[in-house]
Formats: sequence, structure tokens, C-alpha cells
Amino acid sequence: MEETISLKELLQSLRKRLVMIMGITLTAVIVSGVISFFFLTPIYQASTQILVNQKKSEQSMYNPSEVQTNLQLINTYNVIIKSPAILNEVAKELNLDITAQQLNEKIIIGSENQSQVVNISVQDENPETAAAIANTIAKVFENEIVEIMNVDNVSVLAEATVIEGQSPVKPLPILNIAIALVVGLLAGVGLAFLLEYFDNTLKNEQDIEKTLGLPILGSISVIEGSQMDTVKEQRGKRNSKARGEAIGS
Amino acid sequence: MAPKKTMMGEQRRKLVTSYDPKSPISEQYRTIRTNIQFSSVDEEIKTIMVTSSGPGEGKSTTASNLAVVFAQAENSVLLVDADMRKPTAHYTFNLTNTFGLTTVLAKQISLGEAVKETNVPNLSVLTSGPIPPNPSELMGSVGMERFIKEAKETFDIIIFDTPPVLAVTDAQILANKCDGTILVAYSGRTEMEAAGKAKELLVASKGKLLGAVLNGKKLENSDNYYYYGTK
Repeated sequence: MEETISLKELLQSLRKRLVMIMGITLTAVIVSGVISFFFLTPIYQASTQILVNQKKSEQSMYNPSEVQTNLQLINTYNVIIKSPAILNEVAKELNLDITAQQLNEKIIIGSENQSQVVNISVQDENPETAAAIANTIAKVFENEIVEIMNVDNVSVLAEATVIEGQSPVKPLPILNIAIALVVGLLAGVGLAFLLEYFDNTLKNEQDIEKTLGLPILGSISVIEGSQMDTVKEQRGKRNSKARGEAIGS
Repeated sequence: MAPKKTMMGEQRRKLVTSYDPKSPISEQYRTIRTNIQFSSVDEEIKTIMVTSSGPGEGKSTTASNLAVVFAQAENSVLLVDADMRKPTAHYTFNLTNTFGLTTVLAKQISLGEAVKETNVPNLSVLTSGPIPPNPSELMGSVGMERFIKEAKETFDIIIFDTPPVLAVTDAQILANKCDGTILVAYSGRTEMEAAGKAKELLVASKGKLLGAVLNGKKLENSDNYYYYGTK
């Protein structure tokens, strides 16, 4: 026999465990907020841009095939920038006590599609260090590429600068809290349904009739304090109204 | 003094039908009384056994309040505390338990002497008496059958408060001797499997199941009969 469950029953099971759902959600939000604001170290980002283009000479004019060559070279350059040949030099120049691999993890290389501009972004706990690394990478790469590739088609387009009161790129507390809110809500609702699924107790008259096949002689309800007050209040109103009518008649 | 006050409060809460007969809960017990009376039209129900699958489901409270509402309907009622392992009737009605059902079954005292009057008109209580080492044997004894026969002659309604079905065999033994059995279940506490097993055992012992009473049901906003006549 196919078992059906109504939307009303689902909502009732959620309402029954609303405190638990809210508790889980609130806990997730608070934990996320506390971790984001107090435990995660802020990470700052600095970016520099390099242009992959032949140095202008008096004779040279716009050459589409040359542009195409430069575009194809960009993918190679992206790999070279993050190679130990460049990064070891950067670490040495800045007296950084880290390996090329560790430095590599701080760098994000990107270039817009069909663009000759390469973005070098560096993330670090210190905004000054991030800017210094980004600028040094650009400078070292500009110098080293001549020896590595025998081409002189790289120039620094924009240097990384440190802005006063710069906001960190990581963590994003609002985003983290929003994610925690959604995850907490999903976890709470999921747990509520899971508990409902595993709850094999008799809850109402229908359960007794279905499980035991016995007639219900009656049910004794639990009246909460607030509900009892309402009952007494209504009873009082009814009695006073009746007395009033008796006097007035 | 403080513990006594708490105990009195507990009594009031348990015997709502006596202390607050106009309350919605008292009305629910009266509904149960009516349903019991109509559950068997052909034969008269004089002996009613109240039991449940497990402990803490409200057997004693249900039995006591049912006894009160039957007494309020001008019936001569005897409430028998047949839970010889964990008796509670003497606490509920603030009585002594020096003698009772066990002493009657052991022929140490007559039924008339053992029965105690309560402050509820038409309601008498037979407490369990001293806890015996062999409750199941006493339940199935000839003395029990003799006691039921004698009680039927004296009272209109006899309500038995018994131990849980799944815990001990006492309830099964007594179910066979009573005119009807009520199975009490507690909302959100009684497991379906346990209730089902309890029903099977009662049916196997050839007890006549009148129906079930659901205890501790959460009051929903749709239950408007609480506010009947307030508009």
C-alpha cells in the first residue's frame, strides 16, 4: 500500500521542531560570524598588470599576426610567471623566507579573453607585502623573459599600490554568514524530517486507529498555561455575560 | 510542610475531574465515560480494566478520573488498585495502604472492611494493600474471581488500575476476567510497536478491548470545543 504524506503534516512536523531548527540555524550563523570576524586572518590582494606586446620601433606598424603570436605566448607566460625560475628570484629579491611553492600558492594569474594584458594578483596577510610581491614578479618576469624566451615583448602596464584602509578579499563575513544561514536552515529542516521519519510513536487518534485498529474512546489534551488562561478568560466572559442578561431581562 | 504541599498539588493535577469538574479535561473524561457506555450495547459493562503498553503513560490518572466521572453520573463506583508492584491509588486519594486488595484475596479481611470511602460521592477505593511476592498468582487465583463476583453485586462499576501489559502478565490475567479493557497510550511517547504488541497480548488472553485513550495530546488551534459557547 502506498503511503502518502500531506503538506499539512510536513508543516506540522516542522512547526513542532521549530525551536530546534531555529537553534541550529542560529548556532551556524553565530559560529560562522565568530570564525569570520575573530579567527580567520584577513587576506589582502594586490594586482599588477603587464602588457605582452613588441616594443615600439619607428619602422614597426600594427601587425595582426604579431598580435596573434603574443596572444598565443600569454598562456606560456602564465606558466613561466609561476615557475621557480621567476619565483625563487622574487623571494631572493624581497628576502622572503618562503619556498617557490609557497609563493606560488599566493599568486593568481589571469588574462582576459583575446587580451594582451596579463593580471598578476597576489594575496597576503599584509597588503604591503602583497603589493611588493606583485610588483617584483612583474619586474623580474620582464627582465628574465628576455633570457628565457629570447623575446622582449613584456612591459609593466600598471603597478600594484597599497590603498589606505584597504578591505581584505578574504574572509567575507557577510557571505560566510549568509552561507551558514542557508546551510543551518537546511540542516535543521533535514534533521527535523529525519527525526520525524524515525519517530515511531503514536501521536494522534489516526495513528491509534491505523496501528491498533481500536476505536478511540477519547483523548486527553495537554493544555499549556497560556491556553488555560484563555479558557478561563473565555469562561469568565461567558458567565458575566449570562449574569448581565439575567439582570437586564 | 513543603513536600506535602507539592503532593497535594500533584493530587489536584491528577484528579482534575474532582477538583475542577467544569474544566475542558474533565469534559474529555466524561466523553470517554459516554463512549464506554455506548461501546457495548448488548451486554452491560461493569468491570473495566485500564492498562497500557508501558509505564508512565497515564493509566492510574485515567483510571482515577474515569472512576470520578462515573461516580458523578450517580453510579456506585469502586476503583481497585490492581497494580500490586507500583500502587498509586492511595496517594491520589490520600488514603492509607495498610490493607487492600491483597488482604482481601488472602481472606484476611472482607471486601466491605477493605473498601475505603473517598471525598467524592459514590466513589470507593480499594487500595492494593501490602505488596505481595506473587502478584501474578494472586491475579489468576480463584479468590480474584470470587472478589470480582462479590464486587459486581455491591457496585455498579468496578475500575481496575493494572500494571503495564508488556512489563508483567498481571494485566493479561485480569483482562480475561473483566467485561472490558481500555488501552491507554501517551502521545509522542508510546511506541507503535509496543502498543501493537500490548494489543496482541490482550487479544490473546481473550480480553475484550473496548478501545484506546490517547493521553498527553498537544492541544491544537483547531480544537475549538474548548471555547464552546463563548461567542
